[in-house]
Amino acid sequence: MKKVLAFILAGGKGERLYPLTRDRTKPAVPFGAIYRIIDFTLSNCINSNLRKIYILSQYKSLSLNRHVQLGWNILSSTLGEFITVVPAQQRIDEHWYKGTADAIYQNIYLLQKEQPDLLLILSGDHVYKMDYRKMIDFHLEKGADVTVSAVEIDKGLSQEFGVIEIDSDFKITGFDEKPDCPKTLPGKPDKILASMGIYVFSTEIMVRKLIEDAKKDTAHDFGKNIIPAMVNKNQVFCYNFIDEKGEACYWRDVGAMEAYFESNMDLISISPLLNLYDPDWPMHTYHAPFPPAKSVFDDGAGRKGFALESIISGGCILSGGEVRRSLLSPDVRIDSYAQVEDSILLEGTRVGERAKIKRAIIDKESEISPGMQIGYDPEEDKKFTVTESGIVVVPKGFRAR
Amino acid sequence: MATLLVVDDEEHQRMLYQEELGEEGYQVILARNGKEALDKVLEISPDLIVLDIRMPVMDGLEALGRIVGKERNIPVVIHSAYSSYKDDFMSWTADDFVVKSADLTELKKKIRELLERKKA
Repeated sequence: MKKVLAFILAGGKGERLYPLTRDRTKPAVPFGAIYRIIDFTLSNCINSNLRKIYILSQYKSLSLNRHVQLGWNILSSTLGEFITVVPAQQRIDEHWYKGTADAIYQNIYLLQKEQPDLLLILSGDHVYKMDYRKMIDFHLEKGADVTVSAVEIDKGLSQEFGVIEIDSDFKITGFDEKPDCPKTLPGKPDKILASMGIYVFSTEIMVRKLIEDAKKDTAHDFGKNIIPAMVNKNQVFCYNFIDEKGEACYWRDVGAMEAYFESNMDLISISPLLNLYDPDWPMHTYHAPFPPAKSVFDDGAGRKGFALESIISGGCILSGGEVRRSLLSPDVRIDSYAQVEDSILLEGTRVGERAKIKRAIIDKESEISPGMQIGYDPEEDKKFTVTESGIVVVPKGFRAR
Repeated sequence: MATLLVVDDEEHQRMLYQEELGEEGYQVILARNGKEALDKVLEISPDLIVLDIRMPVMDGLEALGRIVGKERNIPVVIHSAYSSYKDDFMSWTADDFVVKSADLTELKKKIRELLERKKA
């Protein structure tokens, strides 16, 4: 059994998710009513039986720290297991991480202590379910120096991803960061292989490559520098993230507001692409001890507390208001005659009487006052962040004056 | 004439370096620990650095990381009595590792090679 050490890169600023990232780093952004984005990567690690995990944090890490401390204190330090948040410490250089590779380079001393055979580099801001053991087995079978995980996506999305070219043995022959004219998959002219930003490295090779890169004037990034420099020089392989039927597995980079909204909304569909009900792959998170959700009032005169096609978390009270096609995080209150549609309401949101909300994301502990409307009048909504497709985002702790 | 920055906390060792490397025709600048070395690197920008590891104030490995962070093109030779540091990933940042002995032949050879490689 090889000794594997996992690093979760959790330093992203997440500017495209602003204002959800005003007070928290991207991996700490709430997702799927009760989770934080990083819960998916952490759950994958635990379900893959990987129990030595460093989370490298940087910007606005307090919320992330608190979540990991409260929700992920589940391993046994006696058995040498850990999930540890490592803040940027400027041990080597007096600046913050310049890129993903620099983040690991600045923490080389952590490898010294653990002496792992393999390193698994993960990103804390993706939503997916993956058994990393399969990728590690693939890496060992191929005798790879590095294995890059990739997922088949539509050709049209190439400008957002690192695009991988492979030969028939899955050896990587080209790695293009965000190309205009990407190389498509053999036999699938409308599909490309997009890098998921997940890497398995043999430790010694990784250290040598990081040091080499640290001495060069680069962006110190795995996708932009380290991997492209290794292609055709080292054994660089691609692990295709597909299911038993050979179809691409679910994987989402929810780093932009529209993608974040859509991925959340997918969870309320009849058969979501991301199944959270699989007992073999449980998703862990922190649960505060809220009481069960309830609905009150059904007086026959239109005062009716109910939710349809929605996810309702613990502690919520549908108090005479209606909710349709929405996700409610814990402790949300919907008062009488209020209407909530196609929206994401995060923890502690209060929706006052006769307030109306449509296609909106309401961040934690906001108070939507009685009669207020969000998502109905573009002029009125201008005081908030509004996405291109018209999703209104209300920042954390909002209160109307 | 190439300028060498030689870092060691032991005075006798520094005198040895001064004399022997001076005879080789190098200009030898001395520092007593990693912190002094770091200051001098910025001040004089040497052609090559010879670095001890176990030193007070700031050890050689920490200094090495910081030097590379500031001046990544200066070759560094670690000269330490403890070969076990070869297993320390941080020491891999150096261009070479010579185990310390009173006979500086091996060290001189590595210095020559690295300076030639730098010129090329």
